[in-house]
Amino acid sequence: MANSYLDISGVSIEFPTPNGPFKALDNVNLKIEKGEFISLIGHSGCGKSTVLNIVAGLYNATQGGVILQGKEVLQPGPDRAVVFQNHSLFPWLTCYENVRLAVDKVMKGKPKAERHEWTEYNLELVHMGHAMHKRPDEISGGMKQRVGIARALSMQPKVLLMDEPFGALDALTRAHMQDSLTEIQAELNNTVIMITHDVDEAVLLSDRIVMMTNGPAATIGEILHVDLERPRERLELADDPTYNHYRAEVLKFLHERHAKKDVPQSTKKATTTTSDAADKKEEDKKDVAA
Amino acid sequence: MEKQNNNAPTLTKRLTSLQKMIGATLASVTFTLATPAFAEELELEKEDLKFGFIKLTDMAPLAIAYEKGYFEDEGLYVTLEAQANWKVLLDRVIDGQLDGAHMLAGQPLGATIGFGTQAHVITAFSMDLNGNGITVSNEIWDQMKPNIPKDESGKPVHPIKADALKPVVEKYKSDGKPFNMGMVFPVSTHNYELRYWLAAGGIHPGYYAPHKGDTSGTIDADALLSVTPPPQMPATLEAGTIYGYCVGEPWNQQAVFKGIGVPVVTDYEIWKNNPEKVFGVSNKWAEENPNTHLAVVKALIRAAKWLDDNDNANRPEAVKILAQPNYVGADYDVIANSMTGTFEYEKGDKREVPDFNVFFRYYATYPYYSDAIWYLTQMRRWGQISEEKPDSWFHEIAKKVYKPEIYLEAAQLLIDEGKMSKEDFPFDTDGFRDPQTHFIDNITYDGRKPNDYLKKFSIGLNGDTVL
Amino acid sequence: MLNRSIRFFELTGMNWLIPIANLLAGKNPKAQLNQLLASIGAPLVAFLIFLLLWSTAASNIKTSLGNLPGPSQTWEQFESLVDEHTAARDKEAAFYQRQEDRNAKRIEQGKEPKDIRPYTGAPTFFDQIFTSLYTVFIGFAVATIIAIPVGIICGLNSTIYTGLNPLIQIFRPVSPLAWLPIVTMVVSALYTTDDPFFAKSFITSALTVTLCSLWPTLINTTVGVSTIDKDLINVSRVLRLSWMTQIFKVVIPASLPMIFTGLRLSLGVGWMVLIAAEMLAQNPGLGKFVWDEFQNGSSNSLGRILVAVFVIGIIGFLLDRIMLTLQKSVSHDKTQEIR
Repeated sequence: MANSYLDISGVSIEFPTPNGPFKALDNVNLKIEKGEFISLIGHSGCGKSTVLNIVAGLYNATQGGVILQGKEVLQPGPDRAVVFQNHSLFPWLTCYENVRLAVDKVMKGKPKAERHEWTEYNLELVHMGHAMHKRPDEISGGMKQRVGIARALSMQPKVLLMDEPFGALDALTRAHMQDSLTEIQAELNNTVIMITHDVDEAVLLSDRIVMMTNGPAATIGEILHVDLERPRERLELADDPTYNHYRAEVLKFLHERHAKKDVPQSTKKATTTTSDAADKKEEDKKDVAA
Repeated sequence: MEKQNNNAPTLTKRLTSLQKMIGATLASVTFTLATPAFAEELELEKEDLKFGFIKLTDMAPLAIAYEKGYFEDEGLYVTLEAQANWKVLLDRVIDGQLDGAHMLAGQPLGATIGFGTQAHVITAFSMDLNGNGITVSNEIWDQMKPNIPKDESGKPVHPIKADALKPVVEKYKSDGKPFNMGMVFPVSTHNYELRYWLAAGGIHPGYYAPHKGDTSGTIDADALLSVTPPPQMPATLEAGTIYGYCVGEPWNQQAVFKGIGVPVVTDYEIWKNNPEKVFGVSNKWAEENPNTHLAVVKALIRAAKWLDDNDNANRPEAVKILAQPNYVGADYDVIANSMTGTFEYEKGDKREVPDFNVFFRYYATYPYYSDAIWYLTQMRRWGQISEEKPDSWFHEIAKKVYKPEIYLEAAQLLIDEGKMSKEDFPFDTDGFRDPQTHFIDNITYDGRKPNDYLKKFSIGLNGDTVL
Repeated sequence: MLNRSIRFFELTGMNWLIPIANLLAGKNPKAQLNQLLASIGAPLVAFLIFLLLWSTAASNIKTSLGNLPGPSQTWEQFESLVDEHTAARDKEAAFYQRQEDRNAKRIEQGKEPKDIRPYTGAPTFFDQIFTSLYTVFIGFAVATIIAIPVGIICGLNSTIYTGLNPLIQIFRPVSPLAWLPIVTMVVSALYTTDDPFFAKSFITSALTVTLCSLWPTLINTTVGVSTIDKDLINVSRVLRLSWMTQIFKVVIPASLPMIFTGLRLSLGVGWMVLIAAEMLAQNPGLGKFVWDEFQNGSSNSLGRILVAVFVIGIIGFLLDRIMLTLQKSVSHDKTQEIR
């Protein structure tokens, strides 16, 4: 078997809970080639984020593992840069400083001027050159996300991991950001794994759409190859039957075959997803502290 | 340090022991011979000093020695600091935060025999005679008044005895109400004076039994005495927590001014010219700083003399100083009342008491052994000393705590400097006053025979009685 | 200039000064006046009503020290305190002059001059204010040095936090009056040098301030650190920041707003505690001033105490403003209103 660029093989993960271990993922297998754009789609709580976090190295799989360019992923690192849903910029640093922090890390030993140039280049790339000395609380949500992307890109990662990067943005801004991302992707040809809820977004941006079954013990249900020519134009595609076919496929998967049942409140706990469970733990801690 | 004073202290020490051996009469001769070495300047072991005091008019010698520059004349840089209460003051002298303090005469004695905090504290300077009074609340005064004989003008005949209070106390007792009174400290002059006055009128003030762990002093008591810091006396009386108190000035006159109580008797009437506060230092401090101690005593003697000079002519100025907030801080009029030789009893009943505050006359500043022994007899009388002690023990403790030899050495230095004359000091005394008679109950006190004295009281422990 | 001063007023919470600044700059005077009236008018009226109520109430309350002083008597006492202060400064000058003279004489006599001693007179009211401020800052600084690192450790490690939490909760509500005797005895026992740099009473009251002002900073730091956005921590993990960099570049900046909220509370507590501690420990300062005046029981005492009450209040208010300014300047979200 030929070695893929990124190999997710046999990944399962369990989280300890007071009611015994909770199996979030079961036997997830996925091979990704260099330069591929992959979307992960599924109902909320199906473990998409968990997959992403395992690739990032933020979580360790209970069984199986991730191999990137022949090396097993054991901990987080700048070669797998993450763009988080809530931009996660350091609020006390300016946009420039946020990116520079990452640049200083990955370009250790390079001259100052070079690092400065690279920082500015990445900010220009996401069209944030004009506001690079502003702080995150002085710019809009879409701009913050751009800086988040610039920071991730500046690390020149082997894989770019994006966790619902545009989920918190309004529809117009989101469309705008998708176009920007398409543009950047055309230029850099990164390997990307992106989580999304948005079917249009998935079809528009991806080479493959990975659809996940509902948890617990979620796994990959189906993989859809999107064979649309690039560059893809949003407006033209709206009337394109192939595009609409892909769209329908995804929707069918989500709403017919793996429709999420309305779960009664009382049993919800048992089906809480991993990331939710982790959040839950955080909540508890806050309560104690307060 | 050692190099600086290798001459002076040894000489001082030698002189002290010499003086002890040949006795007081010869001492002055020795001094005249030795003076040239000293007359110029004492080699001070410590020049920056901090003394504590309680806000009472009898702290005056300290304030005057500071304000009149007597401390500075001796090369001393003194800071005076008011203390919260007598216990804090004593503790801070013992642990060295204070170099010395204005103390109750009973404090050095009590500390040295181990009643309360145990520590060897000494005194070489008595600060004053008299100066205290007993005040009762208006309510009690109204009930006492019918029992007091009046003169032709209708004024109460003085001294007012506790006999007039006895029916009131009995009434409270039969009503089941405790009769509470305030005094300032268990070993304070005020405690003993209040007890003396009450007991002389047949009211039992209660015993202490420290060997049983009882230090409240209320065993068998008709009147229950408790501790309140002097400045808080008027407020406590006003609050109704106590019905009367014994305290130094200005806190009796304050009650008259505020209209919350009536002083009934001064300690001058209980025991004419009774010794009151002393200037106490820890024995350790005195041994480490003999010359500094001498210099301090010198300054204090001068201050005391200034306070009594020319028939109290300086008193108004002294009152002005004491009225400053950092000293006593009460109103001028309140302090002036007693400090200038008058005392106001019931509102408007102002009487002459020229010797109410004596700072220098009658050898007031000399630390008499007999004064020390009187306090020890009262400690025995009320059970603070729980067992019988021989007369020799009383004398031994008195000599351990009262240091007339240091006082006389300081006096001699002042004479040599021409600031004082020989007549100002009792150089020929053996440390015992002649038997004293002026007590409210007419009992004679002879400090040489403390156990005999104790036997004369109808209320009080004596002989081998143990509670 | 105008914008800068407006920014400063906003930062220090003195928003009511903004219209004045605008007015001075001649910007739309009528609107500014209206705004000024709205922001200053109400407090001004409230203050006047307070003065009126105070003076009426005061003249009707008879204490054994005379009537309760009203605003004018209190103001008189303030003036007399100022006079006393200047008089004391003159006395101090004379004190130094005497030392100089004595030394001059000594030199004449061929002797070594003595060191010039610091003034030994009683501290004035204004000296007491500075002593109090000094004491509270030392106590507060020690508390901060302890509370922030412990808070960070507790915030990072939930096991340590769980272990320490009961202790923190037990000690936090303890009144300074309960600590004081213990602190006094411990200081007496342990702080035994012959030539102490600090007075024992100073150490006692500063430590009492520390013990009481420790908790708000500690708890807020803990909460601040433990509630740092998980994503920010993940970012630093992805960047593989070293432990120290993570503490100084991420953890501390992220929790600074909470730390400062704690510091502000701590300083407030410390200032309040200090007055009580000074009263009991007899450490020089405003607390001792109040206590001494209470003990003096002179006809001026209540007026002087009231002056102290206002001064204590005003200083407390100013300290809070300073901390608020700092708190605002470290806040990440400038739009958030902090009061």
